Amino acid sequence: MNLNYSDEQNMLREQVLKFCETNYDFIDREKILASDSGYSEDNWKQFADLGWLAVPFKEENGGFNFGPVELTVLFEEFGKALVVEPYLSSVVMSGTVLEGSNHPEKVSIIEKIISGQHHISVAYAEAGIGYNFLDCVTSVSKDGELFTLNGSKSLVLNAGNANQFIVLATHENAPALVIINAEDKGISVQSFKTLDGQTCGELTFENVSLEAESILALGDEAEVLFNKMLNLSILCISAEAVGAMTSSYMKTVQYTKEREQFAQPISNFQVLQHRMVDMFIETELTKSLMIKATLQLDSNDSEAGSTISALKVQVGKAGRLVGQHAVQLHGGMGVSDEMSIGHYLKRFTAIDSMFGNTQYHINKYQAK
Amino acid sequence: MDISFSEQDLQFQEEIRAGLNGSEYPSHVREKREKGIALSKQDQIDFHKFIHSKGWMGYNWPVEYGGTGWSPVQIYLFLNELALAQCPTILPFGLSMVGPVIYTFGNQEQKDRFLPDILEFNTWWCQGYSEPGSGSDLASLKTKAVLDGDHYIVNGSKTWTTLAQHADWIFCLVRTETTQKKQEGISFLLIDMNTPGIEVKPIITIDGDHEVNSVFFTDVKVPADQLIGEEGKGWTYAKFLLAHERFGIAGVPVVKVQLDKLKNITINHDDADLSRKIAELEIDLAALEFTELRTLAAIAEGGHPGAESSILKIRGTEIQQRMTELFVEAAGQYILPYEGPEGFESNRTPAGPDYASPSVAQYLNYRKTSIYGGSNEIQKNIIAKAILGV
Repeated sequence: MNLNYSDEQNMLREQVLKFCETNYDFIDREKILASDSGYSEDNWKQFADLGWLAVPFKEENGGFNFGPVELTVLFEEFGKALVVEPYLSSVVMSGTVLEGSNHPEKVSIIEKIISGQHHISVAYAEAGIGYNFLDCVTSVSKDGELFTLNGSKSLVLNAGNANQFIVLATHENAPALVIINAEDKGISVQSFKTLDGQTCGELTFENVSLEAESILALGDEAEVLFNKMLNLSILCISAEAVGAMTSSYMKTVQYTKEREQFAQPISNFQVLQHRMVDMFIETELTKSLMIKATLQLDSNDSEAGSTISALKVQVGKAGRLVGQHAVQLHGGMGVSDEMSIGHYLKRFTAIDSMFGNTQYHINKYQAK
Repeated sequence: MDISFSEQDLQFQEEIRAGLNGSEYPSHVREKREKGIALSKQDQIDFHKFIHSKGWMGYNWPVEYGGTGWSPVQIYLFLNELALAQCPTILPFGLSMVGPVIYTFGNQEQKDRFLPDILEFNTWWCQGYSEPGSGSDLASLKTKAVLDGDHYIVNGSKTWTTLAQHADWIFCLVRTETTQKKQEGISFLLIDMNTPGIEVKPIITIDGDHEVNSVFFTDVKVPADQLIGEEGKGWTYAKFLLAHERFGIAGVPVVKVQLDKLKNITINHDDADLSRKIAELEIDLAALEFTELRTLAAIAEGGHPGAESSILKIRGTEIQQRMTELFVEAAGQYILPYEGPEGFESNRTPAGPDYASPSVAQYLNYRKTSIYGGSNEIQKNIIAKAILGV
């Protein structure tokens, strides 16, 4: 029984923390959000140079062979500074699917991801099916030696910057995961800003032609791989939420100590103190479930899926409480877009909406 | 990172489980606990004598004083198994409260005199802390002890004294001096409940139970050799005592058992709203349980528990109370007939399920949990000061 991070894991945390302190204050972040791509290519290059883009990949694919623990370390620190670079979509999501596939060129594609030159986004959501991603209508059908993709996908993270897409589709009433190039004929991309300043896109496919090797996984294999990706993605954004909650309550404590009203720091008022204690409690409880889920995913525990749902519920509820209290205790400053605190609330709101919200995962947990 | 228990610890857990399921366990206690019926004094004694017969009574004491010398992980597993087997709580007043104070701060004669009887459960202890005017502000206590030759003369009153009606001894915080700093004039005194001048009056709680009492002291003569440690150091000893009992405060396994019962009860209720509340409570319980494990992992490696341990009392009692509310919700209108925690006489029972009346008893009784042991509001004040620094 040991819940300490290893020296290596602590060094990774230290490194991310230092990077964010130097490169990611609120003004830096505002500039990145205002840019066309919605992320910083310089930062992404530094992520590559520091080896962060190689973290989850297996050694044989040029990675560090790290697991969920290291990913949560990265994401917790990203969450503290509200990092917007597309690590989740380009590394965690597409990396998990690629690595689990038998694509003949997967090693070279992963190499390109690790070097920071290549972005792949996973197109998993679709209009009209809510969070039941596997019930999709987008389909891939056999057409002689080739395959044809038709349909549309929604809310594709970082879509405007992607060189390739991995698309969840159906093939003969079973799930299929296919990879396509962004430039392929018949694909159109429409990009949007997200509520928290990142980007996503709507994709449509009109008779997009694929070779057989572009089919990454089919049937049960595709379903297992997709669920693995979802679980790991939920873990990562949950760790990000833990980091964001930690920053939110700490910034709030700091602010209430400095803000004076009625001739004293407002942190003297018990009603505010108790609210901040509630923020702290929710943060720690979320961290507990995050560690539990991390260890279960790491050991392929059969209860991991149920713990992931529990974690997502806790992240949803705690994020709302911590985010709203942080805004409330900052008073008017909390609703000002020029202060960072409201941006945490926006990130919590976005995180709750992704991969199944609180309500969805309560139902999923119940049905276990 | 690794949260698994060692082979030896798992084997230990098996031994405890087997012992609790064995034939020596008092069956009348098991039966009452399963039905949610209050235990009598004799039931309590039978249970504690059983624990002693297994050699487990000093589960949190060092070997030197007759304890088991178990590791923090073993203590955690032991308490967990007790709760899962629906055992009553091992009464903390002797074992976890006054015992450690005596073996840490008492003299040899006091250790020889009191410790063996605590382990064998020959003496029933109660705690004399709160007073009518001193609740959350405990250090303002006024019960006075004046030294008169080789005796203290004690005058005053204590309140909320749990199970004082059964107790042979009481450990008291008394004021031996009026000092500028109110904590400095407090001393720790052991008093025989049979001493003339002591009067115990029941306080009936809203569930109809007689669990707590008022204890009045009128010119009670207490031999001076029943003072623990030094005069004026009582507050230090009391704080030590509060820090000593950390495990089990969250009540995780108790709620687990109760939620399993509740799920069985409601399996055919077709009540989506209630099922959802149960699921949400289970999720909160999972978060709490792992928080307790984080604390345990820190202590097990000889470190201090982190900030997360301060959460256990607050969130644990909130979850316990929500659990009791769900039972009441499940019972619906049948909670109406209620005649107290012992249920109804067997020849006359009202309509409704068996669990209805115990659900009421539990719901009303558990309101105390967010009040005792430092109310949850006081706990939040402590976190605000110690962790947030405001």
